Amino acid sequence: MQRIKFIDRMAQGKLSRRQMMQSAGAFGVGALILPPRARAAEVLTCLEWGGYDDATYFQAYVDKHGSAPNFSIFAGEEDALAKVLAGFAADVMHPCNYSVGRFVSAGVAEPLDTARLSHWNDIFPALQVAEGVLENGDIVMAPADWGNSSIAYRPDLVDEAFKADPSWSIFFDEAYKGRVSMLDNELVIIIGEMVAGKSYDDVYDMSGEALAAAAKEWGTKGLDMSRFLWTDASELQQGLASGEIVAAYAWNDLIKNLRADGVAVEYARPKEGFFTWFCGLTLLNTGKADKALAYDFIDAWLSPETGKALIEDSGYGHANQKSFEIADPAEVAAMGITDPEAMMASSIVFRNPTDAVQEEQNKVWGDLKALKY
Amino acid sequence: MTIAVTDPAGAPRRVARGDPSLRARRIAGFGLLSPALGLMVAMLALPIGALVLLSFWTQDGFAIDRTLTLANYARLVAWSDEATVWFGIPFHLAYPVPAILMIKSLVMSLVATVAVIALAFPMACFMAFRVTRHKALWIIVLTIPFWTSYLLRVFSWKIVLGFNGAINSGLIALGVIDKPLEFLLYNPSAVVLTLAHSWVAFAVLPIYVSLEKIDRSLLEAAADLGDSRWQRFRRIILPLAAPGTIAAALLVFIPTVGDYVTPALVGGPGGTMIGSLVQQLFLKQNDAPLGAAVSIAMMAIIALLVVIFLWAIGYGRMRERRR
Repeated sequence: MQRIKFIDRMAQGKLSRRQMMQSAGAFGVGALILPPRARAAEVLTCLEWGGYDDATYFQAYVDKHGSAPNFSIFAGEEDALAKVLAGFAADVMHPCNYSVGRFVSAGVAEPLDTARLSHWNDIFPALQVAEGVLENGDIVMAPADWGNSSIAYRPDLVDEAFKADPSWSIFFDEAYKGRVSMLDNELVIIIGEMVAGKSYDDVYDMSGEALAAAAKEWGTKGLDMSRFLWTDASELQQGLASGEIVAAYAWNDLIKNLRADGVAVEYARPKEGFFTWFCGLTLLNTGKADKALAYDFIDAWLSPETGKALIEDSGYGHANQKSFEIADPAEVAAMGITDPEAMMASSIVFRNPTDAVQEEQNKVWGDLKALKY
Repeated sequence: MTIAVTDPAGAPRRVARGDPSLRARRIAGFGLLSPALGLMVAMLALPIGALVLLSFWTQDGFAIDRTLTLANYARLVAWSDEATVWFGIPFHLAYPVPAILMIKSLVMSLVATVAVIALAFPMACFMAFRVTRHKALWIIVLTIPFWTSYLLRVFSWKIVLGFNGAINSGLIALGVIDKPLEFLLYNPSAVVLTLAHSWVAFAVLPIYVSLEKIDRSLLEAAADLGDSRWQRFRRIILPLAAPGTIAAALLVFIPTVGDYVTPALVGGPGGTMIGSLVQQLFLKQNDAPLGAAVSIAMMAIIALLVVIFLWAIGYGRMRERRR
């Protein structure tokens, strides 16, 4: 038996170095002994929202480096943060103005050197210094996309009364039980308080007794009425398209996508107000890839071409002013407001409560969901 | 228990421990075991150990406080005068969520287990007693659903039960209903149904094996002595199939209690189980130590229940008899 002979001879020390290496090579051991070749650089790893892993949003990066970075898709920023804190080595994260603070407090965000971003100077000046971009004198997020959160509804399936006077109260209305869908987020409780007549700025950082009472009243009701709480926009899209859901908390792109599929859907301007968010790219200090790659990726996101794609494909706004110049004028006109500053002035801008309050709200919402039956 | 157990022949069963030939054999036995043992230690014992350790730490903002404490476990059972009422049961706990979800998960997977056994037993009986040719083929046919991933099987239930899914569109086409039924999906019963389907093949095989081992002459003798079909089933098949059935029940019950994917996909807002809470604690509420404590508590409770179950059905006696 050749095999046994080999082992015997090796044990007796009768094997020549050449024979030994030959056999070892067959097992891939050579890779360890060979002089190290130029080692393949670490691939950039990005934490991204579902859908944003499409190459159209960072074409310049693909053109320069030949391939897309690795993506890890998250459903909410808290998930992404937990993943990073648990040791996931991501280089870039895509938080929003109301959530980037969490990454800064957790000590995983790294200030950006705007000089390394070629498109920085084309960013709307208001966004360059907005809360969430500039924290304690550091730029912690390069603003990229902005848009709205409001109620998407099927005009053929909701009552006339709602269409005449849209209100967030539809998510707490017995008449719509099992036909609406809210985002799986503690925002349900806050929106409930807004329905009760309070202003967003007064309730976004609710805590303690007030939060518990609001959760009991509005959170429970919101949970009971929702068919499901969505975490994945495509699930919501299917629900609205089939008519299973008649109204839902949604971002602008949903309207655009459903209309492209020929589904009649409207975006409401509820009387309590609708929301504006803006998101961007944050450099994380947990990554292993070369920082230059991260800067290239962020810069690609800030390019007007990305903005054009965002405006035309999803109806979102972009932080780069030049995006609006090169995008299809009809699409730009359809957006209505193209200046993020004006948009923010006309709507409610999401805000970030303190870490302790955010954690308390996460917990209250999580417990509320757990007790639903 | 006496050490000097004797077998029917009267010879002492255990030989002196020091016997060198025996020791060599024992070492060889461990040698054969060691790959599996090593894997178990690396992939199971170490992670569980880490989880246990984590459960004695506490979360402090974004950092973890590494002083050992029972605080997490204390939180799970802390008393409160104010009761949280769930399904009419008052829970006098300051943090009732884990306890309630634990009970809910146990009930849900118990129902799923009973359903699985009810489905699997006739299938196994059919395979053991009715199928005489191509048995292997039948077993392969049975495992066909397992050729796709678990996730896909759960998703397919979403399609079957969905708003414009197979059942609803079928019934509408037949004119039985004119509006889709909404109670099919996104509730605890959808979770139980999906779990029952997903695990049924796991249960058929152990039951089939124990049925297959039954000596057919026993059945013939019973028939000769005038036992009816039902009597034969109750007095011979059922007791002799018990070990396989118990194994099947445990095989289904233990993993389904902590299932996370199924409730997440078909459970909707009300179909959450204890696994969802663990995920929440780790990933949303940023409290990994409490999540670890919930997991460990869940493991302990399941282990305790399994022991009570085995004791209650007299599993020990059953094994004695077989000797």
